[in-house]
Amino acid sequence: MAVEYSNPGLPTHDGFWRQFARHRLALLALALVVLLALLALFAPALEMLLGLDAGAADLFNRLAPPSADHWLGTDEAGRDVFLRLLYGGRVSLMVGIIAALLAALLGTMIGLIAGYFGGWPDGFLMRATDAVIALPLLPLLIVLAAVDPQKLGLPDSIAQSELFSLYRIILIISLVGWTTVARLVRAETLSLRRREFVIAARAQGLGSPAILCRHILPNVASPIVVATTLTIGNVILLESVLSFLALGIQPPTASWGNMLNNVQDYLWDAPMLAVWPGLMIFVTVIAFNFLGDGLQDALDPRARR
Amino acid sequence: MAAFLARRLAQSGLILFIVIFLTYWLMGLMPGDPIDLMVQSNPDLTPADAARLKALYGLDQPIITRFWNWLTQALQGDFGYSRLFGQPVWEVLWPRLVNTLILMLPVVLLSIVIAVPLGLLAARKAYGWFDYTVNLASFAGISVPPFWFAILMIIGFAVTLNWLPASAAPPGDAGLMDHLRHLILPVATLTILNVGTYLRFMRAASLQTLRQDYVRTALAKGVSETRLLTHHVLRNALLPLVTIIALSFGSLFSGTLIIETIFAWPGMGKTIYDSVLGNDYNLAMVGFLLATATTLLGNILADLCYGLLDPRIELEEVKLGG
Amino acid sequence: MRWIQLTCLLLTFIISGTAWAENKRLVIGISQYPGSLHPAYDSMMAKSYILGMTRRPISVYDANWEDVCLLCTELPDFDKGTAKYVVTESGKEGIAVTYSLDPKAVWGDGTPITTRDVMFTWEVGANPESGIDNFEFYRRIEKIEVIDDKTFTLVMNRRSCDYQGIPGFTLLPSHVDRPYSDDPREYQNRTLYEKDPTNPALWYGPYRVSNVQNGQSITLVRNERWWGKKPWFDEIEIRAIENTAALTANLLSGDIDMIAGESGLTTDQALAFERRHGDDFQFIYKQGLVYEHIDLMLENPILADVRVRRALLQGIDRDAISQQLFAGKQPVAHGSVNPLDSVYNPDAPRYDFDPEAASRLLEEAGWTLASDGVRRNAEGEKLQLELMTTAGNKTRELVEQVLQSQWKKIGVDVRIRNEPARVFFGETVSKRKFTGMAMFAWFSSPKHIPLTTLKSDQIPNEENNWAGQNYTGYAKPEMDQLIEDMDLKCEADQNQAAWDRMQELYATDLPVLPLYYRANPYILPKDLKGLVPTGHQYPSTLWVENWHRAP
Repeated sequence: MAVEYSNPGLPTHDGFWRQFARHRLALLALALVVLLALLALFAPALEMLLGLDAGAADLFNRLAPPSADHWLGTDEAGRDVFLRLLYGGRVSLMVGIIAALLAALLGTMIGLIAGYFGGWPDGFLMRATDAVIALPLLPLLIVLAAVDPQKLGLPDSIAQSELFSLYRIILIISLVGWTTVARLVRAETLSLRRREFVIAARAQGLGSPAILCRHILPNVASPIVVATTLTIGNVILLESVLSFLALGIQPPTASWGNMLNNVQDYLWDAPMLAVWPGLMIFVTVIAFNFLGDGLQDALDPRARR
Repeated sequence: MAAFLARRLAQSGLILFIVIFLTYWLMGLMPGDPIDLMVQSNPDLTPADAARLKALYGLDQPIITRFWNWLTQALQGDFGYSRLFGQPVWEVLWPRLVNTLILMLPVVLLSIVIAVPLGLLAARKAYGWFDYTVNLASFAGISVPPFWFAILMIIGFAVTLNWLPASAAPPGDAGLMDHLRHLILPVATLTILNVGTYLRFMRAASLQTLRQDYVRTALAKGVSETRLLTHHVLRNALLPLVTIIALSFGSLFSGTLIIETIFAWPGMGKTIYDSVLGNDYNLAMVGFLLATATTLLGNILADLCYGLLDPRIELEEVKLGG
Repeated sequence: MRWIQLTCLLLTFIISGTAWAENKRLVIGISQYPGSLHPAYDSMMAKSYILGMTRRPISVYDANWEDVCLLCTELPDFDKGTAKYVVTESGKEGIAVTYSLDPKAVWGDGTPITTRDVMFTWEVGANPESGIDNFEFYRRIEKIEVIDDKTFTLVMNRRSCDYQGIPGFTLLPSHVDRPYSDDPREYQNRTLYEKDPTNPALWYGPYRVSNVQNGQSITLVRNERWWGKKPWFDEIEIRAIENTAALTANLLSGDIDMIAGESGLTTDQALAFERRHGDDFQFIYKQGLVYEHIDLMLENPILADVRVRRALLQGIDRDAISQQLFAGKQPVAHGSVNPLDSVYNPDAPRYDFDPEAASRLLEEAGWTLASDGVRRNAEGEKLQLELMTTAGNKTRELVEQVLQSQWKKIGVDVRIRNEPARVFFGETVSKRKFTGMAMFAWFSSPKHIPLTTLKSDQIPNEENNWAGQNYTGYAKPEMDQLIEDMDLKCEADQNQAAWDRMQELYATDLPVLPLYYRANPYILPKDLKGLVPTGHQYPSTLWVENWHRAP
């Protein structure tokens, strides 16, 4: 009978919540993110409830001020700003979350392999990570966003889909965004694989995949969660930058980024049109940043006060 | 040390080559050409003109051939002419490089000057009201959409208050003071967008140092607050800050496109963007070369600083993160 | 008390007077920076705009859309013998036109402008290796006969009723630029326009280039050698600010005095700005020859039916678009010829907004309304079309979303898919890869014959190496004949008859859905006088010597 070594794992639920709740701004951020997500999720329901059509342009009711029908007024095509914001939020949040999750997944796999196996896989993967970090991000995104999908051999059904710009952004961002997670996971794995409980598990004859999943992964989860949360905010910001360059999500699909970009010309005439999407991006990104910060405080034992 | 440097430089060289090839290849995958746009908007031009011009610029040849031609010439020091500007690539890039530095250096310096003391103090008074304010401010800077913020700054300071000019470029014959006046707004905007990152790192590093046993011992021994912060904490916290600054070179070099566009200040970001969309291969490649090299050099510099400032760390083990 | 008032009045007078005198400087904001200043490369509006002040074409269209001489003394004319039909040496039916250059005309360094410059220009232009934009124009010149220092005859190898003007002939200075043309391939890079753009010898307009801040601004000062009317402004600076929100902010903060109509804001941007700051500036909207329309892919079985095409046009409220989005400044287009054009046919059919009629036409064509609001044909196929345009062009994106909503109401399901301009024009449109509708604009000149856009031999395909601009695939022998008549039957009646019938046919067959004519919005200081917008590609700066400030 081998000695049982305890697996430190994640902090207990109670400990985590107590710690997290002390970070008041993070708590507020969490509430905000949940609220935004719910609003975005129920946008179609709200649309029905209000009896409006978010996509319908009304030329005779452009740039209208807020009213009982249109809570935040109408935009340059006469569409309801409030509903557009909710639909834009759906897209922006979705892009942020999916891209961040994909990046985290990719980064975790690379980091685990590099850290656990060491040797040449580690050398190769870490050099690759260096290379990706060295890429001039913004110019490269511009090139990638302008590449012809058909020349890359994508079938027309995908390349010509209305949502292609959405897939493209998610893919591009996850392809360059995995490096932080990979480095974090590798560093943690590197130290974990020398720990007693891992050595013991290996002595018990557990295979590498099992050790990775059961013993290493739970212990590297904290930095992954933190990094992913922070990435979501960054992605939403990046989408707005790409929209500014007309390389983001394409209309008629609304995103906060392209809404913000489209109202540039109404800055003097209807400034509130620019204020709303800008504010939504700002508030959401800052909320995700605080959430990440709070999670870090609560999850990282070294950062305990 | 020398061996480490040599190896890192060799690796960087390889990465540089791969990046350059990759971007050349990707640019080749971008369909169409600005020549097509010209035909569209000028009734005097015909599609035959477009086909002839494309052949003249070699755009009808396979991408590998073109890359090889470019590479062999570049290795001989001939970077060719920019197609968009009709001038030798370096003549186009040089003033823009200077422009980028004019914008970047004050931003980095200002950011350090702001981030170091505020980060230190925030860490010392961690979780107090001061810390919260600094936290909120630095997160706000990181989280604001750059385009939106830049326009807000222009509306506020140039249009409403009319204190400062709205664009970074002064009139053709302006003096030094006029140049400086025009730079205030873009530098301030970029600094606000940039300082948050430094501040976060400074605070985190200071916090970590403050938790070390020797700091507690020093405190217990009655070392004065100022001396503690400046001598012990600052020295240790500078390490990650230097790293993050070195690592941010790349993004400051080519990532300020938005600010350059809004303030009409032709720097590297705008130039690379224009050259990519204009199929100006010669210009784009050298732009990418510089941007990637800056990032790579920043990385090596960060590693070196780490090694120099903290000899306990083995150079090979140093990685960003954590 | 009186003397205080009087002194005050006097002081105000003096102060405003001095301010007045000093303000002989004009800063113009444009939204694009011209890559180079060479007149024959990289044609773009921003460049023509600046060159309009620093050089003068031999002839152009003026603000009334008529051919006028700027550098020549008289337009060629059959009656005066300065134009005549000839058979060229290569045996082609050609035309010979004679021009005389203004005897006073000199380059900025005082050297007279002569036929030597004409020959030099032709030499550079007709050499395919020098990479001039409109080589095709120079290639049509088979021979130039020099009569004396100022007079020359162009022998063109093609006849056309539009023979009088040669605005494409961009004179180059043989006395300074010739050394650089020894190697035609390198000329583009070595020319003085690149190496030394502030050299006065390159310019011969009321102004010359005095300072170039690459990517930022170009400063012009008076050209002392200019032989025409003395311009009022001492100095003009043209500043490029690409972001239009920043451009308007610069105007408000006083960093620039005006925004050029030719290369500045779009009409909807200017209107939005005017609503708030209408009192502070002078706004001029000039509609013109930029024709926004939707090309229909006639090979699409749905669009092959002319009833569907007509229904699509009747289903959209172009009047509302023109009124609501553009405050009527961008008038509805009923065809490709602008009403301001002398060859316009007011009697060609036009289609007003009539959703009922549109629905009837669709029913007739076999498209019946299904429960989900989208029409289907007998086979159960949806009435679904793809609408494409240039991504990032906010006006077009806005208009297409409005159109989508309007078509939805008559049961047509329109999908929007946009592409960056270079992809859209470089591949999708020019290689006819769009499946339904493509929205874009034609830039034409007055009396522009739709040779490349409507003739059946101009349908781009693999065999002709994608030449031609007849993207819809419209092919009708009568149209081909009409276009030839318009080009070659120069007698006024016959010519106009061909134009009339062409416009009638265009509006009957509807290979294209006409939308509206774009306007150029000029935002000027309230005291700027003398600027006359043209509405075509020859900019208002060609008459910059008339600009001045006056209370």
